[in-house]
Amino acid sequence: MKIPYQYIVQSIEENPCIEEISDRLFQLGHEHEIEDGIFDIEITPNRGDCLSLIGILRDLNVFYKSNRNDDIYSGTIEEFKLDFENCVPKFCPKISFLKLEINKEVHEYKGLLRDYFNDLHLTKNNFFTDVSNYLMYEIGQPTHCYDASKIKDKILLKEINHDLDFETLLGKTIKLRGKNNVFFINEEPINLAGIMGGKNSACSTDTTSIILECAYFEPEEIMGKSVKYDINSDAAHKFERGVDPLSHDKVIRRFIRIVQDHTEIKSIMLHTCDNYEHKPTNISLDHNKINRIIGTNISRNEYIDCLQSLGFKINDNSVTVPPYRNDVSVHNDLAEEIARIIGYDNIPIKKIKIPNAKQEIDSTEDKIRAFLVNNGFYEIINSPFVEHAHENSISIDNPLDTTRMFLRTDISKSLIENLLYNERRQKDSIKLFEVADIYSIEKNQVLVTKKISIIASGRVGKNYKDFSKTMNVKYMNDLFKEFLPDFNFNFKNISRELLNSKSKSEIVFCEIDFKELQSYNCNYKDKFLPPREFIKYKPISEFPSSVRDISYLIKDSTKINSLRDVIFNHKNPILRDVFIFDYYQNKKTDEIKMGFRFTFQSHDKTLTFDEIDNAIELIISETLDINSISIPGI
Amino acid sequence: MSIDKDISPKLTSEIGSYHPINQTKAYIIKMLSDIGFNHITGPEVEMEEYNFDMLNIKKTHPARQMHDTFYVNNKSHVLRTHTSPVQIRTMLEDAPPFAYSSGGKVFRKDDDATHLPMFHQVEGIYVDKDVNFSQLKDLIYKIIYDLFGNNAEVRFRPSYFPFTEPSAEVDILSDSGNWLEILGCGIVNPIVLENCNIDSEEFSGLAFGLGVERIAMLKYGVNDIRDFYKSNLDFLAQFK
Repeated sequence: MKIPYQYIVQSIEENPCIEEISDRLFQLGHEHEIEDGIFDIEITPNRGDCLSLIGILRDLNVFYKSNRNDDIYSGTIEEFKLDFENCVPKFCPKISFLKLEINKEVHEYKGLLRDYFNDLHLTKNNFFTDVSNYLMYEIGQPTHCYDASKIKDKILLKEINHDLDFETLLGKTIKLRGKNNVFFINEEPINLAGIMGGKNSACSTDTTSIILECAYFEPEEIMGKSVKYDINSDAAHKFERGVDPLSHDKVIRRFIRIVQDHTEIKSIMLHTCDNYEHKPTNISLDHNKINRIIGTNISRNEYIDCLQSLGFKINDNSVTVPPYRNDVSVHNDLAEEIARIIGYDNIPIKKIKIPNAKQEIDSTEDKIRAFLVNNGFYEIINSPFVEHAHENSISIDNPLDTTRMFLRTDISKSLIENLLYNERRQKDSIKLFEVADIYSIEKNQVLVTKKISIIASGRVGKNYKDFSKTMNVKYMNDLFKEFLPDFNFNFKNISRELLNSKSKSEIVFCEIDFKELQSYNCNYKDKFLPPREFIKYKPISEFPSSVRDISYLIKDSTKINSLRDVIFNHKNPILRDVFIFDYYQNKKTDEIKMGFRFTFQSHDKTLTFDEIDNAIELIISETLDINSISIPGI
Repeated sequence: MSIDKDISPKLTSEIGSYHPINQTKAYIIKMLSDIGFNHITGPEVEMEEYNFDMLNIKKTHPARQMHDTFYVNNKSHVLRTHTSPVQIRTMLEDAPPFAYSSGGKVFRKDDDATHLPMFHQVEGIYVDKDVNFSQLKDLIYKIIYDLFGNNAEVRFRPSYFPFTEPSAEVDILSDSGNWLEILGCGIVNPIVLENCNIDSEEFSGLAFGLGVERIAMLKYGVNDIRDFYKSNLDFLAQFK
């Protein structure tokens, strides 16, 4: 909801600056942004009463005294009998129709109406619709204008429960589905109640005679309709949050007055169907209860003052909630009102003392996670949505798209995707795991299984002993014996035949239900512990990396440290990683062979061969300066 | 000259990493446990009754619509939209005083640059005699100071959740001078207590919830929420 600062400041006696009003709005719970002197306020869904200029001023009345005195038409309005039948009085307990005729159409706007369109950069439609829209902005009550010349027969408001095409006044045709409350003339829909009128009965710029509809619709019946039909409707937004059921007379009189300010009115007549019985909400006046909820110490008089400033009425020992505050019904609601007025930030802090929590028992889950991470595995979290169903899959009734129709029944398939993703990113040693709850359906019962899945492919590791070894079923089964000597993890191969992959290295995986591990006694000492602090993340490169190897021959073994120092201290922004992948001592000749692998990657581009070669050249020339070191082949 | 064995390079083996979201989640749960909250878990495929009705989220509430909530198995269940139903399940079994934290995956029907259909939450609830908003503030300050340091500038704003009243959202002031929303909290709506057979005249409660991704992004300095779920080893390798 957009409200220019000047609208607020012109409507109150004080003269606060924009920052002060901004602070007050935040204090009251009206989050907003400010652009070009206009507050763009996000009203929480419980505060439909604030979706208007008057509504916001009513809330600000706690701090600033309103000096608004909007003129209304105060003359008598003759009654007339409109041919109208309301078949759904529960949905629409109160509705009025104002028949209004003017002599000459209006094109030039004055006063607040003109300012509204100018200040908020709004597009004009036609005079009557524009007045109706302005009134909704000012007071919060939506109204609808029919062109009276197009209402030639009985209007019927009824609920339908069949498909029906309906063209909105904006020219969009929608197909009404399911239950809808619709105004009809001769079986022709003229208005989707509370949401948007139809084109067939809409006003135009030369309309001079209208029927203004002002109604109260049951919020719950309007809820979700504008989303369902993809209609952007301010009226629906307000109706679904609840409008003031007692404002109709004022709204109609204000409408007449604004029209009167622009042109001469030929005739006005009113038809009202009122089955609405207002039952005011009363809450006992108990400031101690409020103090207990908030933890404050306000007096009865302060409490009464606060409530009165928000329009609540106090009678003896009872608080009467104003008709527009449908969000207030119990003491906790009143406590929030008081807390807002005091300001949440001004409420004193009182020490909280909660008894100690029970000690958590070490879980197998936390131990196996630690074991995996200690052995170079990375934990993954995958989304559970998958494209294809398996036996007992749970289906999503309203999926995001056709690739996310079901909940996965295993973790492995997600991990295969993760593995291939990293292989495409030049990774040749991949070790992953994921722990997740897996859901399935059996005999219409939802079942849950906590599982761990482990997948690995490629080199065992980077050090010179592991570099040339690749992971396979035996390696994995042996490795996991360290964790649980008596349990068979039963690693299996996954064939690459059906996978879109270049790599040939074996993929091994296992997937285990934690229940299977329950009866085994795990002596693994380490377990997952929450981090003590958070590292600072450095953005990673999206560009491919390249590797280059250099193999050195070191004749004088005492020079090995010099070589390592030079290489590990070598600085180049494109050098991302270096490690020793090969090491061999020839005991007879005193010579050492040592292989280094360099990984190059840039943050801004794909590196060219030349750029990598130049970087390698720098390393070579620096290292060859060391005595007794050579690179065979150079 | 003979070669001393010690000169051979050390055979270090690389360690992997826990997922940064799980690390952050565990950090928050541990912090809450130190304050007195017992951690509980519950199903991600949840009944509407626990996910909505018991929490005073009415049938017509916008959050329950098909465009916000994933319904599954011909609408027999939903994917939980928050971890609050875990607390409901536990409150039905327990009598106050109690303090519980619940953390885990939650689901909303969103998918764009800043919203994912699956994300993580940690929530807490404390029910006892005379629990009030002043104490809630103390607790929230503790949480925020732990996460963002004792100099964090904190702002409480009135907000709306069906299951708390009064409700608040809490912001911290970022280095760039913007207020960032960190968590939602409030005094447990007495209706929710009554739904769980707890006498709301005798007991009151406080509750709060944090988005784990939001905290992880701020703490680690990750700008794109989607980076957490790409399974990119270069990314994950930083969180050792």
